[in-house]
Parts: sequence; C-alpha cells; structure tokens
Amino acid sequence: MIYFSQQENRLENYAGRRREKAGGFRPPFCCLERGRNMGNGFMDMANSGMMYLIAGVVVVFVMVMAVVFFIKAYREGVKIGIDKKKMNKAIVSSVTFTIIPSIGILIGVIALSGSLGIPIPWLRLSVIGALHYETMAADVGAQAAGLSGLGDVMTGDAFVTIIFVMTIGIIWGGVFCIFGLKKYQKTLNKVQQKDNRWGTIMFNAMFVGMVCAFIGQGLANTRKGDFTSVIVIVVSALFMALFTWLTEKKGQKWMESFSLSFSMVLGMASAILYQSVILPAIAR
Amino acid sequence: MAKNNNQTKERSFDDQMHWYGRIWTGIAICLMLLVPLFVGVYFQASPSAKGMLIGAASICIIYLPSSIVEVITYAPMLGTGATYLAFVTGNLTNLKIPCCMSAREIVGTEYGTKENEIISTLSVAASSLVTCTVLIIGVLLLAPLRPILEAPVLKPAFDTVVPALFGALGYKYFSKTPMVAVAPFVSMALLCLLVPAAAGQVAILVPISAVISIVVARILYVKKKI
Repeated sequence: MIYFSQQENRLENYAGRRREKAGGFRPPFCCLERGRNMGNGFMDMANSGMMYLIAGVVVVFVMVMAVVFFIKAYREGVKIGIDKKKMNKAIVSSVTFTIIPSIGILIGVIALSGSLGIPIPWLRLSVIGALHYETMAADVGAQAAGLSGLGDVMTGDAFVTIIFVMTIGIIWGGVFCIFGLKKYQKTLNKVQQKDNRWGTIMFNAMFVGMVCAFIGQGLANTRKGDFTSVIVIVVSALFMALFTWLTEKKGQKWMESFSLSFSMVLGMASAILYQSVILPAIAR
Repeated sequence: MAKNNNQTKERSFDDQMHWYGRIWTGIAICLMLLVPLFVGVYFQASPSAKGMLIGAASICIIYLPSSIVEVITYAPMLGTGATYLAFVTGNLTNLKIPCCMSAREIVGTEYGTKENEIISTLSVAASSLVTCTVLIIGVLLLAPLRPILEAPVLKPAFDTVVPALFGALGYKYFSKTPMVAVAPFVSMALLCLLVPAAAGQVAILVPISAVISIVVARILYVKKKI
C-alpha cells in the first residue's frame, strides 16, 4: 500500500510552495488573532511543546504496546521451549531490516513538516500511518476545510479538520481487527487444520502476489522513461542472490540476518550511481 | 492426550493475544481520536462540522473498504498478535510484513504453528520499536540531520526504498516458487505497463495479484506440481 517515493516529490512541492507562500511560515492565523499567543505564527504553535506532548503521549503509548506484546511473545516462546538463539536471531534481523525503511519514513516526516509542523507528521507516521495515505488525507482535509489544498495558507480550523480527517480515515483497519479478526482467524485456522501444507502454500502465494504487485508498480515508471526503479529492483535482487549463495553454499551463516538490509542498501546505492554518474555521463 | 493439551494451550495463547490486541488497539484508537480534540482546544479552533463530515466521508469511502481488504489480505501473513500491533503501528507493506516474513524465513518456522505466531509478534514488535525510536531520534536531531537526509545526492536512494525492498524479496520468493510467481508477475507487469494509472492503486493491485497467485498455487497444488 505504501509507495512513498513519488509522494515525497509531491510533499516536497507542497512544502516548498508553502515556504514560498508563507515567507518563512508566518501565515495569519485566525484563532491567534483572537488573543492566544499573539505574535506567534501558525508554525510556532504547530511546533510548540504542547503539540509535542500531545503527539508524544500517543507515540509512547504505542511503544508501550509494542513492549508488552514483545515481552508476552518472548515469555511464551521461552515457556514452550523455543531456542532463545532462534528468537534473538529473529529480533536482530527485524531490527537491522527496519533501520533503513525507518529513515525513509523520517524523510516523510520532514516532507510533511513544511505544511503541518513536526509533531503531527511524527505522530501520524509513528501510529498506523503510511506516507502516501497521510498526504492524500491531509489534502482532502484541507479542501474540506475550505482551503485550496495543503499548500494553501493554514488556519487553526483547517489544521484541526485535517488532523481529524487523517485520523478518521486510517483507524478502520484497527477497528476491523477489534471486531472481526478473531472470527476471521478462526475461519483461517479451520482451512489450515484441514490441510496444513495447502495453508502454508496459500499464505506464501499471497505474499508472492504482494511482491509482484509492487514490482509491477516499479516497472510502470519505465513508461515515463525513468528506469531507476527497475535498476534498483534488479540490483537488489542480484545482491540478494549473491548473499543467499554465500549463506547457503559458502557457510556464511552470519550474513543471513543482514542479507535483506545489505541488498536494499546496495540497490538504493545503485539509484545514486545511475542518476548521479551514469545518466550525466550518457547526457554528455 | 499431549496433543490435546498442546492445542488447549495454543488456543489460550491465541485468545490472550486477541484479548490484549483488542484492549490495546481500542485504547490506541481512542487516544488517536482525542488528538484532534486536544489540538482544537489548544488552538482555540472552531472547525465547521460540515467540513469535517465532508472530509471524513470522502476519505472513508476509499479507506474503509480498503482497510478491511488489508486486514483480510495481511492478517494471514502476520498472525494474531502481530496483526493487532501492525494495524496500530502502520507501515504494513513497506515494513512490517516483509520484516515479519524475513524473520520467519531466517528462523525457519511453519505457518499455523505457535512458534510462527511468537516469532511474528517478536518481529513486528521489534520493528515497531525501532521505527518509533528512529523517528524520535530523527525528530530530536532534525536540525543537524535535515541537510544530510535532504541532500540531493541521496534523494534517488531514499526515493527507491520500496523497489529495493521488493527486488530483494522478489528474488527470495520467486526463486523458491517460480511457477507460482510467473502468472502474477506477468499480469502485474503488463497491467502496470499498459495502464499506468493502475500502478498508483496498490491497495487494489495487491489483492488482485494475491488472488491470481493463490489460484495458480491451488492449480499447481491439485496437480501435485508443488
């Protein structure tokens, strides 16, 4: 569902336009003029300690939730006799894998901060968020509040409408989990208990389908003459093949936890090489 | 008898995860809904109810059904505890699901086992904590980090996190089940190349592609080819 590269461009445009329009973020702000924090701009309030506190409470809550689930799962794992080394391996691979995409998400916070300040994008991308969704929802909210879009001069009323719309649109997955997940899981378990091998094949096939959809999406850019995504897909796949070979055939078992992150970083580096070195060289 | 005991335990752990998941997800959603309220009070704003309803309705028309499809599509890949956690922490397709699949692959767990459920939950929880921590550090260090992260030379790299992820995962999964992957890969590639507008609709593409994969896998399974 998330494909933030194109969205980042849009976001940066928004942020850029806003900076230009606001001349360094100083839009007139209706409620401020009614007496609160007189003299401060919208951005001062959107980036104030109170906003960090509001966002921080929710982020901390979600982190506590993750810690609780982590502890519960780890204890249960120990209880049923899963090798601690196995669990630690899963944790190390998850941590190393997550760092690079998280930096990508941080760039999304920076991109959105031009329009909405830092705390709200930080909250939205830490909790349920997904960058492409947030941009669209924020834009819909801005228009519903009577602005021409996210790039327009922000008002307090519009800001609250935007946050409300961003929140209300994204909660449904969680709501459905609360009311429907248990029933759905029971149905799935029945399929699996009936034929466990087919269950395994089916869930793997679902994931293969998801990967295909994203690769197909990457190929679409070639229509516009942009081959960066395809190059990155091929390079990261080649490095994954190399690392798999080293792990499985050459006994480099330590590499297993890092192969996905290394492949991604090298694939991403190929984008820099292509756009900063190869394309300029061809143009010459 | 031992098997029966084991099944009882499995059910109880699963039920526990549902219980915790519901409570924590419910509170998280309530907290999130309180954010616009608190921001409104802080800003002394009085947004029009009509504008909020119009905005909410237009976003919900798209995202309510797609959220349900997402739960249906991704819950089997994640397992109980990880699903609740992933639908609260977000960034599913670009982070949580690949992270979880990769961790299970490395550890070598099988679907439907309790071990699988535990590894998935550990993976998604660890991933969520890392993302939150990176964002907190990033937000705290935003001033010095901004020029580095926004450096034009690095832009192509950060623009291609998702293709890099799915290229690497593509090799991993296609090499394991090439016969299952051919049909969805060709159909998605053709669809995105011939109808570029479709490429922007990942929420629709993923379920379609998943259904094609499952149908192909079923045919191959029935014919005993896989």
